[in-house]
Amino acid sequence: MSVPSEHMLILASILFAVGAAGFFLRRNVIVVLMCIELMLNAANLSFLAASRMHSLKQGALGPALEGPIFAIFVIVIAAVEAAVGLALVIALYRNRQTVNLEEVSDLKD
Amino acid sequence: MANALFYLMALVSVACALGVVLAKNPIQCVLSLLGCFFALATIYLLAGFQFLAAVQILVYAGAIMVLFLFVIMLLNLGAPGALDKTDAKMFSRPNAFLVVVIAGLLLVMGALAVKKSGVVVAAKEMPEHGIDTVNGLAGEMFGRYLLPFEAVSLLLLATAVAVVVLAKRERGNSRRRKMGGEL
Repeated sequence: MSVPSEHMLILASILFAVGAAGFFLRRNVIVVLMCIELMLNAANLSFLAASRMHSLKQGALGPALEGPIFAIFVIVIAAVEAAVGLALVIALYRNRQTVNLEEVSDLKD
Repeated sequence: MANALFYLMALVSVACALGVVLAKNPIQCVLSLLGCFFALATIYLLAGFQFLAAVQILVYAGAIMVLFLFVIMLLNLGAPGALDKTDAKMFSRPNAFLVVVIAGLLLVMGALAVKKSGVVVAAKEMPEHGIDTVNGLAGEMFGRYLLPFEAVSLLLLATAVAVVVLAKRERGNSRRRKMGGEL
């Protein structure tokens, strides 16, 4: 008897909550980007859990491939987001010599 | 055996995720995230997604993490002397308590949604080659999902251009300034 897919979903929600907490708590831009990656990974995990649930249930017509396909798209988007985000971090550091988000609040004030 | 490995890897991934949030040094954050990605790849493998596990390691652990490490080393943020006090008082900010409560609520909502949807009994055996066979994935990707695939490839091209422009901007300006000075 293999692990129920629901446990994968619960793991995904734990990872998403941890990533969201880090996103709001941290002020280092690079760590904030890492927390976004963590949340995207949680989304991937829940896509795969749903796909597994539908592939193995009674009367399923073959594997549900929507989950893995969307997970691949999410991975591509995550790579794009990391590349653009880190390029912005480099541009920010070049202009301000900081990666602290509290020192970059011109739009807030 | 496989079940025990799944729960062990779930524990490792949650511990590593907490490490990302709580570690002081950005290098420690990156290494924790790497551990989380490897644990998740193992979970994908155990759940029957071999191709996704390989992609997870190749793209996330191989490419994205190297990008993060590269930027941290480029900006010299991991040096012990340069350890900034950015997040030293992470939990003593006024809204930290609220953030933790909201994250906890997110978690409870996720768990409730899973519980409410009911347990779907896995009636069929796992197929021998897993769920995401490369054959099936390619058929879907270049059939029904051809348009999103092309859109994503355009997005990647645009990103490559955008990153070069963003990272090179300073040099272009200084060259222009220098040329203006010469004129």
